[in-house]
Amino acid sequence: MKTEPIIEVNNLSYSFDDFEVLKNVSFVVNEGDIIAIIGPNGSGKSTLLKNIIGFYTPKQGEVIIAGKSPKLVRKQIGYVPQKFTSDRDIPITVYEFMALERCHDDSHSKKNINHALREVGLKNIENKQLGQLSGGQFQRVMIARALLHEKKILIFDEPSSGIDIVGEQTIYDLITKINKEKKTTCIIVSHELNVVNKYAKWVVCLNKKMICFGAPETVITPKNLKELYGIGAGLYHSH
Amino acid sequence: MPEFLQYPFMIRALVAGGFISILLGWLGTFIIIRKMSFIGDGIAHASLAGIAIALLLGWATIPTAILWSILIASFIYFLEKKTKISGDMAIAIMFTTGMAIGVILLHFYQGYQPELISYLFGNILTINSFDLFSIIIAAIIILSCLLIFYRRLLFTTLDPTGAYLSGLNPWVYDLVLYIITAVTIILSIKLVGIILVSALLVTPSALGKIFASSFKNFTFITIIFSLIIVISGLIISYYLDLPSGATIILTGTTLFGLSYLGKYLFSK
Repeated sequence: MKTEPIIEVNNLSYSFDDFEVLKNVSFVVNEGDIIAIIGPNGSGKSTLLKNIIGFYTPKQGEVIIAGKSPKLVRKQIGYVPQKFTSDRDIPITVYEFMALERCHDDSHSKKNINHALREVGLKNIENKQLGQLSGGQFQRVMIARALLHEKKILIFDEPSSGIDIVGEQTIYDLITKINKEKKTTCIIVSHELNVVNKYAKWVVCLNKKMICFGAPETVITPKNLKELYGIGAGLYHSH
Repeated sequence: MPEFLQYPFMIRALVAGGFISILLGWLGTFIIIRKMSFIGDGIAHASLAGIAIALLLGWATIPTAILWSILIASFIYFLEKKTKISGDMAIAIMFTTGMAIGVILLHFYQGYQPELISYLFGNILTINSFDLFSIIIAAIIILSCLLIFYRRLLFTTLDPTGAYLSGLNPWVYDLVLYIITAVTIILSIKLVGIILVSALLVTPSALGKIFASSFKNFTFITIIFSLIIVISGLIISYYLDLPSGATIILTGTTLFGLSYLGKYLFSK
């Protein structure tokens, strides 16, 4: 089945004052695809995400989402961060957190929130404080919030960071399930090449400029990884 | 009727204290999450320049200081968001500059300066009917803003990226929070003083965090504690003939210490 491009990144360059972080990055993501962005720390992955969601304005080039500027269609994008950035001891419940984003319909009602939580495998958790959740549970709450608001694009910033192997498997299985059932386009920033190889349809290798772009089996090669991460990274090649 | 209610200055102080404590308690819940407690100190100290301008020109101090504080809060916001200067640095620059301008201007103020000490440490005797009127009007406006923007302020505080993606503009709500915090601090200066006011932004929230199980009851408990601290502090200061601002702050600290100890002992 032919799919339409939902995200187009064209010759994107971004710099903080004189420090260039992204240089001429171009790729296309089709609707319903899972795409992974890999690269070493400081390679511009987070800056790229912030340009995709329209939080940053490109210095050169453009990002187009569903034919429009990201700022105009940002309500269709869900963002799942690595962790809760505020203090973990803030007394806010899962229900209160999920109800922050109000919709035109009644999707913030307790019934709908419980349904979204059950979809991600969480039960009887709505009155628990956000700070009491494990890393994996928090990630699933964030995914449930995105489901609640039926986001068309989901962005995961290192979703399994600080989570054990079982938790990691659960998160990635969930991402795959949502992608298949709801045709949600997913962008995953990850350092784990085995996971990228298993779940992503396309991979962007980023180190300020785009080193490579393509299917995992063609992109995750010792040569590309050496260029991306430096000497020795080829040891992590999954084949 | 208790003896202290026979004095108009005490009634004015209690009414002003009631409004101010609700505002400080509610705002404190946002300030403590954003780790912005330094902004209370910064704006309070910087406001000395606004007070000095009002005294020199013979203008009403609270309205002049409110306008000055809005200017300072907006400038801190601009420095923080539009330059490489961090929030702490921006506040520290405005904190010291405002104090320095205030001291220089007051140097030119002719005659006795009894009010300066009142502004530094608070003096409920200086709250006149016009001040009380200004406090009530400003408090009603700020409380209305908090009621209208509550969910949006909370969303942008807890999850700025999520708030942006939901269609909100977090920068606008950051500025709204800075401005209403600045105005609230000015309203509180005659009650507790420039030096002590930031404690009332933090202590009730710190108490609320000890007992709350959700954000809704965190806000409610914090406001209740804020009211208890201010009203009981005022009454204690009346009966013991102590400075009101310092007594209010020490009442809060004592309550916090006892609550923390109580929770520690009961949870064992």
